[in-house]
Amino acid sequence: MGKKVFLVDTTICNGCYSCHIGCKDEHVANDWTPIAKPMPEIDHFWFKLDEKVRGTVPKVKVAYTPRFCMHCDNPTCAQACPTEGAIYKRDDGLVIIDPIKCTGCRKCMEACPYDVIYFNRDLNIAQKCTGCAHLLDAGWKETRCSDNCPTLSIRIVDEDSEEAKNFIAESEFYKPEIADKMKPRVYYKGLPKKFIAGTVFDPAQDEVVIGGCVTLTAADGNVSKIKTDHFGDFWFENLPDGKFKLEIEADGKTKLFDNLDTAVADINLGDIPLT
Amino acid sequence: MSDAISNKALPGTAPPNAGADKTVVKAINLSGGIFGACPAHVDVKDGKVVRIRPLHYDSKYDFESFNPWEMERNGVKLRPLTKSVPPPWGLAYKKRTYSPNRVPYPMKRVDWDPNGERNTQNRGSSKFERISWDEATDIIASEIKRIHKEYGPLAILVQGDGHSESKLIHAPHGCSTLLLNKMGGFTQQVRNPDSWEGWYWGAKHVWGKGFIGNMAPAENLVNDMTENTDMIVLQGGDPETTPWGFRGQFASRLMFFWQKAGIEQVYICPDLNYSAAVHANKWIPILPNTDAAMQLAIIYTWVVEGTYDKEYVATHAVGMDKIEDYVLGKVDGVPKTPKWASEKCGVPSYTIKAMARHWAKVRTSTGHYFGGGFIRGPYATEPARLECIQLGMQGLGKPGQHHAQIAYMGMPKNITWDQLNYDIANSDPSTGFQEYSGTFETIKQKDPELYERIFNPHRGTPQAWGKQFIPKTLIEEAIKAGTDKHINFWGTGGHEEEPIDQMIKYQYPVKKGDLRFSGSEKKNLAHNDTDIDKIYERIDYDGVPIHMVWTDTPCRQTCWGDGFDIGMTIRSPQIEFVLAQHPWLENDCIYADIVLPANTTLEVDDVMPCVRDGEHFQTMLNMRQAVKPIGESKSDFECVVEIAKKLDMEKEVTIGRTVEQYVEGVYKGMNFDKITPWEEFQEKDYMVIPVSKNWKKLPAGLYEFYKDPVGHPLPTPTGKLEFCSTNLSKYFPNDEERPPYPQWIEKGITHDERLSSSRARTYPLLIITNHPRWRVHAQADDIPWTKEAMTGKIRGFDGYLYEPCWINPKDAEARGIKTGDIVKVFNERGIVLCGALVMERIMPGAVSVDHGARTDIIIPGKLDRGGAINLITPKGLTSRHAGGQATTSFLVDVQRASMEELDKWRREYPEAWNREYDRASGLKANAWVERGK
Repeated sequence: MGKKVFLVDTTICNGCYSCHIGCKDEHVANDWTPIAKPMPEIDHFWFKLDEKVRGTVPKVKVAYTPRFCMHCDNPTCAQACPTEGAIYKRDDGLVIIDPIKCTGCRKCMEACPYDVIYFNRDLNIAQKCTGCAHLLDAGWKETRCSDNCPTLSIRIVDEDSEEAKNFIAESEFYKPEIADKMKPRVYYKGLPKKFIAGTVFDPAQDEVVIGGCVTLTAADGNVSKIKTDHFGDFWFENLPDGKFKLEIEADGKTKLFDNLDTAVADINLGDIPLT
Repeated sequence: MSDAISNKALPGTAPPNAGADKTVVKAINLSGGIFGACPAHVDVKDGKVVRIRPLHYDSKYDFESFNPWEMERNGVKLRPLTKSVPPPWGLAYKKRTYSPNRVPYPMKRVDWDPNGERNTQNRGSSKFERISWDEATDIIASEIKRIHKEYGPLAILVQGDGHSESKLIHAPHGCSTLLLNKMGGFTQQVRNPDSWEGWYWGAKHVWGKGFIGNMAPAENLVNDMTENTDMIVLQGGDPETTPWGFRGQFASRLMFFWQKAGIEQVYICPDLNYSAAVHANKWIPILPNTDAAMQLAIIYTWVVEGTYDKEYVATHAVGMDKIEDYVLGKVDGVPKTPKWASEKCGVPSYTIKAMARHWAKVRTSTGHYFGGGFIRGPYATEPARLECIQLGMQGLGKPGQHHAQIAYMGMPKNITWDQLNYDIANSDPSTGFQEYSGTFETIKQKDPELYERIFNPHRGTPQAWGKQFIPKTLIEEAIKAGTDKHINFWGTGGHEEEPIDQMIKYQYPVKKGDLRFSGSEKKNLAHNDTDIDKIYERIDYDGVPIHMVWTDTPCRQTCWGDGFDIGMTIRSPQIEFVLAQHPWLENDCIYADIVLPANTTLEVDDVMPCVRDGEHFQTMLNMRQAVKPIGESKSDFECVVEIAKKLDMEKEVTIGRTVEQYVEGVYKGMNFDKITPWEEFQEKDYMVIPVSKNWKKLPAGLYEFYKDPVGHPLPTPTGKLEFCSTNLSKYFPNDEERPPYPQWIEKGITHDERLSSSRARTYPLLIITNHPRWRVHAQADDIPWTKEAMTGKIRGFDGYLYEPCWINPKDAEARGIKTGDIVKVFNERGIVLCGALVMERIMPGAVSVDHGARTDIIIPGKLDRGGAINLITPKGLTSRHAGGQATTSFLVDVQRASMEELDKWRREYPEAWNREYDRASGLKANAWVERGK
């Protein structure tokens, strides 16, 4: 059995929640012991779609970020579990909470830095994404979330496949700062960063400024330049959290924005009169 | 990324039915009618549904045998996936089958006595008791006989139209007509175009009939736009919402593909709709229903800067002089400048100019998929017609320049087009059905009895075919007319009517000598013929007022306008009997006197041709029963058969055939056995119709009209784009609400819903009521899992799941509203409670509540807790002579519901406030059953 990895491309996620629904459809009122006991009808999100509205009117984007068990190669949940074999890693890389052995102590929930384990009060067990191990064992090549996904934004594939290698080469981790420790098996593209955007116009002419030069300088001195487009718009995307300086220049007129802090939020500078 | 788009990386994957003992195929789209979509596999174990999953087309066939199409732009490719891409609620559909809101058994309203007091005034208030099927059908049969004897057959109104599950034999709507049509007829509720009012009542007068008002023909638009379009302007269109219920999520893949291929997408709408949220290069927020102002300013800019295609306009359009005069202010002294428009629509004048110049420069198409505030509000005819003019001024029909219902039409054709010898030559291109209606035509030729049996129930949506009819928008007015008055209206509102039909004054009740469209002459009809008497014939019977309502479409309150009034009007004693058949006890069901338990697609054997555009491939499905009927339910068709038995009419309804015989008759009747033998289809339960090798040969959209407007004229009186309409000039020269050429209508006798109104002092916000993301109109509001999405439902502090009301942080702050608060959305028509969702996806001054939530009426006519926003939409039509509904973009205010208010309602209406409620799925049928639970 090849080791599995999940590839999540958020740039083609439309936020339809069919992943979440596939997970519920598979697990609510269906008992897949020994892999999983039934999931409660609501309030469990073994497959959770985080939804974030970024920016302010009219520079707004919505970021959808699928979050589920990372099936870590260094699963702190398993290490925290006091019951021998209650949380184990399969040969295919999937991490499973044994629904029979679990005693409901919740130590795994505290130990998981990704917040993807849920407690089932009725059954007194911890539950989470199983990678649809029961389906893979039955011959499936998909999980329910990936099979339901209309855009192939979520894929489960063999780690040594071409698709995985190509994807991983350009990918990133959710919470990259702990990736080295946890060794997650879920790879992302397009995790939301920050943007600085605005529209430049000339109030005297009542016209947008097209081709205006916008220069963004990061605290480390890194400089990027773009020109305003046919709507007078500029968008600096995929910015890290940090302090920036932004300068607009057109027809000899300039405008300066100092001390822009993307750590707080995405920044819409609004409609900027260039005078 | 491009791998996922192009599907290069995907090997065929065909999941086995793990843990199941049976797998069946179902169409799980919710548009209903004779065409299905979204094929899915349903796994069943021990008589219960285990899961519903996309159909992998290649699970029983070789993928390459489908001759998959391919499109390319700038090195990015799009190919079909090997699987279907159903919408989320389709994939969760078992929750509808097992919903706690299912009607469990036949029920009678406790204080409705057909032999004594009918207590019609208590409809919607009094509860139900369980009765047997035998008792129910006895009462129904005797009521039908009594009504027929006392008033005549036309006294029964059939509400049997609209969207639903996709079932052919067990049609969710209109099966009652199979019975009543053979007993002397019925009065038909004609479903008006309820998502594209502007195209139907407006655009038809610019480019002719079109496809129900949209541009037609619309062949091969998807590939042509892929290759040639630079910018797509979406004025209210949301390809991430409205296509879902019809054809699933292919449109989503397409928009991502176009995005990655570098085709610019500009969204002009008050909300950052779901498509704009992930696809927009540019979002231009615009105040609800003020699009016409921005459009006029764009046209003004093109006129003063000379940046439109004057040559094209001279040869392809009439009436440009009138448009020029109007935008330059020569008619009313008001030039329609960007500054003028900006004050109306809230878009900065410099942005309007930038938009106008960019549009004039690059190859631009407009994108819609029905829906959107742009096309459904008061005076929707004007923005629709202005869009036609915008497109015309830049050369409509040139490569890359179209009006596109994103993938609704215009996908690569399959082989039924060029290899199965359908009578395409004689089909009507303006219907847009073309080869697909041809497939049904072949049943008609081979087996007319079967054709009538299969097709008639579904005719209620596109056609006005009843002997007497009432447009769906005017049912309440018809009831209020009583038994001694009549109502008038222009045009039946039937989807497939000619534009000239809108010039005819109809009335209810009908009378001898009234005009009726002569369907038999349809194929020979000259579209430019304005001589009504040549096209229409005169009827030779008199109608009668209605006294009974038979509905299988009980969603008027939440889908049509001024819903509170609907709930009050149906209490009229003139309506002696209301019969509802429906799977769920929701919305109008509670106004019925008898409710029959209908069932869902998972519970029946059926067959479904999924042969319309908009998916990766077209398919034919043998939809076998997945699970046994829930409770005492029967299919909509079987409900009618049970009644027919009591009237000695069973054979007339069933035509003496079994379901198996229907399935075989339809399959062979549509010539599908020429693609896949009947035996193989029975074994595999689905077949995929291969793509034609010749699909690229069909000219895109109006290309032929563009090349040769004389040889390929439009179906308008002049054969050209009528910027100023010949028909409207002739029949309604003085109509100030739909003038001969489109204008800005600030207010009129029908509507007063703008910020300039004195009403705006009390109701200062403009609300949009989009087609819902998490439902299809009224369908699927009981699925617990979609409610868990951020924009699904808002759980109030009281545990109730409220419909979200989007409000901008500025408007929320001014009102002390926070996300999660229970808020009142209200105007003089009533109060609807919602849950506040404070966010930047809605512009200041506008709020948004998706329509179609289930009603949960606390005070009849006044207060609703379910979030059914249509309860307080305007009463009036689109405009005086345009019979659409105006259910979006109207004045309201939003305020936090105070603890005192909530407490007062809870105390004064304890029974309504404390109705039995399921924490996960919401309302429960049990709440309305008094005896015999």
